[in-house]
Amino acid sequence: METERNCSQCGRKIPWGQDTCPFCPGKGEGFLWTARRESFLLLVIVFLIVLFVITGFTVGIYHNVEKGFAVQWYARGEDDVRAGRVEAALADFRTAVSYADGNEQYELRLAEALTAAGNSPGARGEARTYLLALLDRQPGNATVNLELARLAAADHSIADAVRYYHQAIYGEWDFNAVARRKNARLELVEYLLAEGQKDSARAELIALAADLPTDPALQTRVGMLLLQVGGYDDALKLFDEALAHDPHAAPALAGAGESYFHKGDYEQAERYLAKAVQQDPRLTQAKVLSGTARDVLELDPFNRRLGNMERGRRAAMDFRAALARLQSCAATRGIDLKAQGSDPLQTANQQALDLQPRAQQLNLGRDAELLSHVMDAAFAMEQASAKACGEPEGQDLALLLISREQGGAHP
Amino acid sequence: MSVPPAAHSALPRNPSPAPPAAEEVLLAKWRKGLPLKETQLFLLLAVIIGLFSGLSVVLFRIAIDWTKLLAFGSALSPLWTRALLVPAVGGLVVGYLVIRFFPRVRGSGVNQTKAALYIYDGYIPFNTVVGKFITCAVGIGTGQSLGPEDPSLQMGAGIASALGRRLRLSREKVRLIAPVGAAAGLAAAFNAPISAVIFVIEEVIGQWTAGSLGAVVLAAVSSVIVSRWFLGDQVMFGIPVYHLVHPAELLAYAALGVIGGVSSLAFMRLIAFARPRLKALPRRTQYLQPATAGLLIGVIGIGFPQVMGAGYGYIDQAMHDQFTWQILAVLAALKIISTSLSFVSGAPGGMFAPTLFIGAMLGGAVGGIEHHFFPWLTGGVGAYALVGMGTLFAGFLRVPLTSVFMVLEVSGNYSIILPVIISNTIAYLISRQYQRTSLFDLLSVQDGIDLPSMEERREEATPHVEDAMRPYRGTLLGFEDPVQVALTKAEGSPEALVLVKGTRHKWFGIKKDDLQRQAPQLRQTDPLHDLLPQTPLPYLHPDHSLDEVLRRMGEWPLLPVLSRADLDKLEGVVGLADVLAAYRAAGDSIGEG
Repeated sequence: METERNCSQCGRKIPWGQDTCPFCPGKGEGFLWTARRESFLLLVIVFLIVLFVITGFTVGIYHNVEKGFAVQWYARGEDDVRAGRVEAALADFRTAVSYADGNEQYELRLAEALTAAGNSPGARGEARTYLLALLDRQPGNATVNLELARLAAADHSIADAVRYYHQAIYGEWDFNAVARRKNARLELVEYLLAEGQKDSARAELIALAADLPTDPALQTRVGMLLLQVGGYDDALKLFDEALAHDPHAAPALAGAGESYFHKGDYEQAERYLAKAVQQDPRLTQAKVLSGTARDVLELDPFNRRLGNMERGRRAAMDFRAALARLQSCAATRGIDLKAQGSDPLQTANQQALDLQPRAQQLNLGRDAELLSHVMDAAFAMEQASAKACGEPEGQDLALLLISREQGGAHP
Repeated sequence: MSVPPAAHSALPRNPSPAPPAAEEVLLAKWRKGLPLKETQLFLLLAVIIGLFSGLSVVLFRIAIDWTKLLAFGSALSPLWTRALLVPAVGGLVVGYLVIRFFPRVRGSGVNQTKAALYIYDGYIPFNTVVGKFITCAVGIGTGQSLGPEDPSLQMGAGIASALGRRLRLSREKVRLIAPVGAAAGLAAAFNAPISAVIFVIEEVIGQWTAGSLGAVVLAAVSSVIVSRWFLGDQVMFGIPVYHLVHPAELLAYAALGVIGGVSSLAFMRLIAFARPRLKALPRRTQYLQPATAGLLIGVIGIGFPQVMGAGYGYIDQAMHDQFTWQILAVLAALKIISTSLSFVSGAPGGMFAPTLFIGAMLGGAVGGIEHHFFPWLTGGVGAYALVGMGTLFAGFLRVPLTSVFMVLEVSGNYSIILPVIISNTIAYLISRQYQRTSLFDLLSVQDGIDLPSMEERREEATPHVEDAMRPYRGTLLGFEDPVQVALTKAEGSPEALVLVKGTRHKWFGIKKDDLQRQAPQLRQTDPLHDLLPQTPLPYLHPDHSLDEVLRRMGEWPLLPVLSRADLDKLEGVVGLADVLAAYRAAGDSIGEG
C-alpha cells in the first residue's frame, strides 16, 4: 500500500492513488465543485429523472427480450410434450419459467408436466413445491389443487388427496367449470375405489348423481361406479335416464341389467343383459351375468308361476347338483364325507344323506314341506362348498343366488 | 425653483418602492439558499442516494443478465464450448480492466466501504462505481462464481460519497454517508431493506446511533421502492409456507447448523490460504489470474453449469426439489472451489450470492438425506435449502442477526424463524470457535489495513460504574448538622470529600480542607448547609458506563453512586483512580482472552 499524505489545506488523509485532496475544491475543478449547493441539488434531481427514464427504457427492452425467450421456450416445451419427449419438455418449461419468474401459467404447466412424467419421487417433489407455492398465491385455484391431489394420490396419501380433490371441486376453474368439476369428482371416486374406500366413494357418487346433466355417457359412467359401491337403485335410475335417450345403448343396457341382477330381479336382469349382449357381443361380463340370471330363472323352484310337478323336478335337480358340488369340493379338499366329523362339509353331507331317499320329483311335487327341507339342505351344501372351495360358477352360483333370495345364509 | 404642474404630476407622489415581482421573490429566495439545516439536508440526501442506488442496481442487474444471455445463450445449460471458453475470455477482459483502469474495484466492496468510513472520511472515488459496474457485469455475466450484492453495496456507497462531498456536507456527515449508500445498494440488490440496514449496522457502522439510523433506513427503503418498481415486488425465493412436521425435525436443522459451520470454516480457510499467495505473485500474472480462474470454472461448468455466475436460478431450482441430495452436495463443494478461485484471483464480485448458493445446496442435501431416511419426520427440501442459506451466511460472513432477517425477507416466510435461529446460531458458534477472525477482518489484515472488527466490538465488555465503585469509607454528614459537629465528625474521615445528605434526594459534598478552612468563619451552631455549594453533587448509578463518570466528575475527587430504586440510598462512591483501575482490569482481561 502506498504511503498516505495529509492534505495541507484541510489536514485530512489523501487516499492512495489520489494526487489531490478529494475534499478540497481546487482550481479549475469545474462546475460540479463550484456550483452552489442548491444549484447542484437541482442538477441532481434533473439527472435523477433522466436516469429514471433511461432505466425504465432499458428494463422495458430487457423484459421484452426475456418475455420473448420465455414464450419461445414454452412453445418448444409444448412441442416436446406433443412429441412425447418428456425430459426435453421439462427442460424447456424450466427455462421458460426462469425467464418469466412468477408466471403462474408456465409454473403450472411445468408442474403438470412433472406430475405427468413423475414416476420418481424427485419429480413429484419438484412438482409439489411449484404447486404449493402457486397455492400460496391462489388458494382457490382448482387446477393447482387438482394437480396436488394427483400427486397425493400417487403417494397414497388419502387424506391429502381427498382434501385437494375437494378444494379442486369447489375451487375456481378458468373455463368449462361445470364439466371439469364433475370430472374432478369422478377422478376422486375412481381414486377412492382404487384405495378400497367404498363408503367415501359412495358418498361422492351420490353427491355427483344429484345434479348430473343429461349426458347419457356421463350418466352411464356414474351408474357403473355406483354399481361398484352397491348403489343399485341410484345406478338403475341413471341407466334408465340414459336409456330414455338411447334405448339401444349397450353399456346402459348392461348397467341396468347388472343393477337388476344385484337387486335380485333376475327376470329383468336377463332381459336387459341379453339385449346388451345382442347390441354388443364384446360385453363379456354381461354375457356371464346373463347366463347366471337365466340359470337362476330355470333352477328356482319357488317361482309362483310354476306347477307342483315342475317345482318338484327343479328341487330334485337342485338337490342333486348341490350334492355333486359338495362331493367334488370334499374330494378336492381331501375330506372323507363318510367319516363322522365336525367339518361343515361333513355336516351338510350328513343332512343331505338323511333326505336323499325322499328327494324325488314325485315326493317333492306333492309335499311342499319336504320340498322346503330339501331346498334348505341344497342351500346348506352350496354354502358350505362355497366357503370351503370358493365362489362357484354356472348352476351352483345360480343356486347360491337363489338361497340368498330366499333369505338363507349369504355366501 | 418651481416645478411645472405637468412635470410635477409626472413624478410619483409617494416615492415608496413598487412591490417586487414574483420572479424576483423566487430569485431572492434562491440566492438566500435552501432553508435546510445540515441534518435535514442529510436526510433528504439519504432519499436521493437511495433512489440513485436503486436505479444503478437495477441497471447493474440487467447488465449482468444481458451479458450472460449474450455470452451463454438463452438455454439453462450452455454448450460445452461456451461453458469452457466464455469465463476465461471474460476473466481476461476483467483482469485487464481492473489492473489498467480500476485498481480499487478488486474484491467484494464491503471492506472498501468500511475503509471509507474509518480511514478516508467517507471518500470513495466515483470511478470505483463505474469500474465496479463494468467489471462485475462482465465478470459475473461471463461466469465468474461471484455475486452482485457486495458490488451493489460499494456502488451505493460510492454514489453517496460523491454526492456528499459535492454538497459540502460536514466531515462527520460525509463520513457517515458511505454506509448510508451501502445500505441502499445492498437493499436494492437483495430486495430486502431490513437485512440491508442490519448488515450495515452490524458489519460496517458497528453501532446503532440515532444520527445514522434514520438516514440508513430512508436510503434503504427508497432504493427498494425503485428496485421493486422496475424488477417487481415478488420475493426472491418463493417456497411453500413452512410447517414444523415433527419437533424432532429441529434436530435435523441443528445438524445442518453443524455442517454449515464446518463448511464455512473450510471455505474461509481456503480463501485465507490462497489469496495472499496469489497476490504475492508478480504483477504481470495478475492480468491472467481471473482468466485462469475462469478457465478452471469453465471446466467445472461443463459438467455442472450451476456453479457459474451468481446462481440464483439454481438456488430456486434447489428449493423446488429439482436435484437429488447427492447432486446438491456436489454442487456445494464445487461452488466453494469455484468461488474461492474467482475471489482469490482478484476478479471483482461479491461473496453474498455464492454464500447463499452453497448454503442452499448444503441445506437441500441435508433435507434430501432426512427425507430419504425419515420421510415422516421432515418437511420439504425447500425449507432446508432456505435455512441453509442463512446458516452459511451466519457461519461464513459472521453476521448472525442479518442472516436471520435475510432468510425471512428473501423468502417472505416468517414461519421458518425457529429452524433458522437454531441452525444459524450453531453455525456461527462453530465458525467463531475455530476461526477467531471473521472473513472481512481477515481480508483487511491481508490487505495491510487495520479496520475495526465489528465482531470484536460487539463482544467487547464495556466497564460500568459497578466495576469501579467502592464503599464510602468517610463520614456521612447531615444537612442540618451544626458546623462544629460536622467538623468534628469529618476530622477522622479518610475520604478527601465528605458527603452530605441533603433534602429531597439531593446529595452535597464538601472537601475536608474546605470545611476546615471555612468553618471558623461561621458560628459553631450554624447549620452545615450554609457552608455547602448551591448546586448538589452529580451522582451516578451502578449501571452507568465509566465514560459517564468522566463526563460528570468535573473537579470533584469522587462522586456518590446511588440506588436507582432509592435515591437516598448510597451504594458506594467512585473516583478517578477507581475508574482507571477498572479500565486497567478490563484491559488485563482482554489481554488474557
